[in-house]
Amino acid sequence: MYNYNKYIGNDYFRNTTPNNMMNNQPNLYTPEEGYDRGNLFANLYVGYKNYQPTKLQAKNEKEALFLELSRYAFAAHELNLYLDLHPEDTTMLTLFNDYRMKTNQLMMEYENKYGPLTVSSDEMSSSFLWEKDAWPWEGGSKK
Amino acid sequence: MWAYQKRLQYPVNIKKKDLRMAKLLITQYGGSNGELAAALRYLNQRYTMPDNKGKALLTDIGTEELAHIEMIATMVYQLMKDATIEEIKAAGLDPHYAEHNKALYPTDANGVPFTVTYFATTGDPLADISEDMAAEQKARAVYENLIDLTDDPDVIGPLLWLRQREVVHFNRFKELFEYYDEMFSKKPQLKNQSQQSNFMDNVSQGINNLSQFLNNFNQEM
Repeated sequence: MYNYNKYIGNDYFRNTTPNNMMNNQPNLYTPEEGYDRGNLFANLYVGYKNYQPTKLQAKNEKEALFLELSRYAFAAHELNLYLDLHPEDTTMLTLFNDYRMKTNQLMMEYENKYGPLTVSSDEMSSSFLWEKDAWPWEGGSKK
Repeated sequence: MWAYQKRLQYPVNIKKKDLRMAKLLITQYGGSNGELAAALRYLNQRYTMPDNKGKALLTDIGTEELAHIEMIATMVYQLMKDATIEEIKAAGLDPHYAEHNKALYPTDANGVPFTVTYFATTGDPLADISEDMAAEQKARAVYENLIDLTDDPDVIGPLLWLRQREVVHFNRFKELFEYYDEMFSKKPQLKNQSQQSNFMDNVSQGINNLSQFLNNFNQEM
């Protein structure tokens, strides 16, 4: 739909002055980089000692789809927090919509293949799958 | 209202039981700088914010803190679940076992139960948001203390990630603080006006909702 590759993961955002105030575009990580770090905003990232963030990897197809969903949901959430304070930032709004739509699409795909993540899922028309799969604290979605 | 998604915000898969770490980690659930205090702090403060930026940010960060509670609870659960009675006694978790068995319960690292006195609401946006900034910094510091106390990468990973969320939230609250500070210094009357009109709006909205509910209820009967 939109091509944001020119904005993310390369020089466009990185080269802007680090600043989290209103009139400057923040520099952004890609959803993958941002999710691993717990921070989509490169200008806000502060590491601890020499610890490096875990590079999350999927062991199978189910995990890969789940990881992709988690990355885009996180990226959309980060932009949501930013847009709460800067609703007039149309560049970020467009990127938010891109990540939001991608999240919805991945959510539907995951639920269709592996069962519901929300009780409003369309995947329950024939049987009540909500209580079937493992719960998050038991390693649900991680098999 | 809220809707649950059956997934953690960031994966937690701890393979090695560690009761000592479970005993320490629980403070980020039910301690003074923990996620439960954070969620309740923001979700109570949001009603009296002077404009929609504050209401939106406190709602959205408060909601994220609920997901962090779930991550910490999951970590404690996984660290404890395979423990034997002997191991529980050796780790000094027998008082916890006596009252809760292996169930989750929000306490700090000393077993002191959670209390709402860990947070404040003042109705003053600058005072409330200053507390929020401090809370994020204190939670970051506690995450660092906890990272220092373990060498299990399955524990360090999620703790580093949660620590980074404190960094992001701190910066968002700082932005909100500076924005309100500037707004109030230009128009000091805005602060009290907006609080009062907000409050009365909420009250009259509440009365409307209630009378509508009662009407519907009567019709259905």
